[in-house]
Amino acid sequence: MLAEAALIVAAGALLGLAGNAASPRPAALARPVHSAAESGTGMCAVAGAAPAARAPRIAVEEAKGLCDACRAGFADARGASEFAAGHVTNAVHLPPAGHPDEAVAVAALRAYPLVVVYDGDYTCALADEVAHRLKREGLPDVRVLEGAWPAWVAAGGAGTSGYCPACHDPAEAHR
Amino acid sequence: MKPLLALLRIGLGATFLYAAATKLPDMSAFAENLANYRLVPPTLVPGAAAAVIGIELTLGLLLVTGRLARGAALVATGLLAVFTLGLSQALLRGIDLRCGCFGGNESATWLTVLRDAGMLAVALALLLRGPGRLLPARPAPASEPRRDASAATHG
Repeated sequence: MLAEAALIVAAGALLGLAGNAASPRPAALARPVHSAAESGTGMCAVAGAAPAARAPRIAVEEAKGLCDACRAGFADARGASEFAAGHVTNAVHLPPAGHPDEAVAVAALRAYPLVVVYDGDYTCALADEVAHRLKREGLPDVRVLEGAWPAWVAAGGAGTSGYCPACHDPAEAHR
Repeated sequence: MKPLLALLRIGLGATFLYAAATKLPDMSAFAENLANYRLVPPTLVPGAAAAVIGIELTLGLLLVTGRLARGAALVATGLLAVFTLGLSQALLRGIDLRCGCFGGNESATWLTVLRDAGMLAVALALLLRGPGRLLPARPAPASEPRRDASAATHG
């Protein structure tokens, strides 16, 4: 029976890795995943700990209008594989763990009067963490996208396969 | 007793299949849920999440079909014991987290622990009493050698 159990665990683990490769939203195997409590965001915070301040929000429709008018910079707080799979046109990649070219990315965002940060989660927003960091960097107006990336896609927002009229920012190089 | 065990086995298997099916479309979210339990080192979380979902899928298939059912019951017992202990330790430590059991945003509560404990009891029953069978075994014809009645369900 132990041999059967070992076989089941091994076969299941392999099946899970294959399923992960085929999943529309796979877990990035090479990227460590920290608990939300450790990053102090969202509903996952440890009870009794000081709640993380919630960054101001912006609705998708308003953000879309600002993107089309090229009046907002976008920062993507998701993982590298998710960013590579699709992101808001001209968004810079700024995960909570930091980015090698972060200074350049932040400088690119400074060109805009407003910066919109988004991630892929509706509730435990990594975007909040990045938004607070950008505020500490001195950016005047930083908002978190309501509904995150899924809401942007559902609303037909400009993505890698879309087009953001008049945007020609070098930040696109930060993939 | 055997039909009841078979029904419990199929029910447990279907639950595992449902749990895996709800997680497969968004394995990244399940990895985040798993990380919130703070039982697995962050570097191992994505691999562990993928493995758990794959094992749930495998257990579901085996328990529903009755193939390798005793081995599947052993793995299910271990997995459900880990789930139950993991949830309990998180609740006792005051960690407010999502269960991650069936995808979605279900919060973990003591009712979730109770549900897992119930499934654990079923897995234990299957492990100790066997996988059962829905229909009684047909008696072997007198001219043929006697076969093990449980072979059909054990595969």
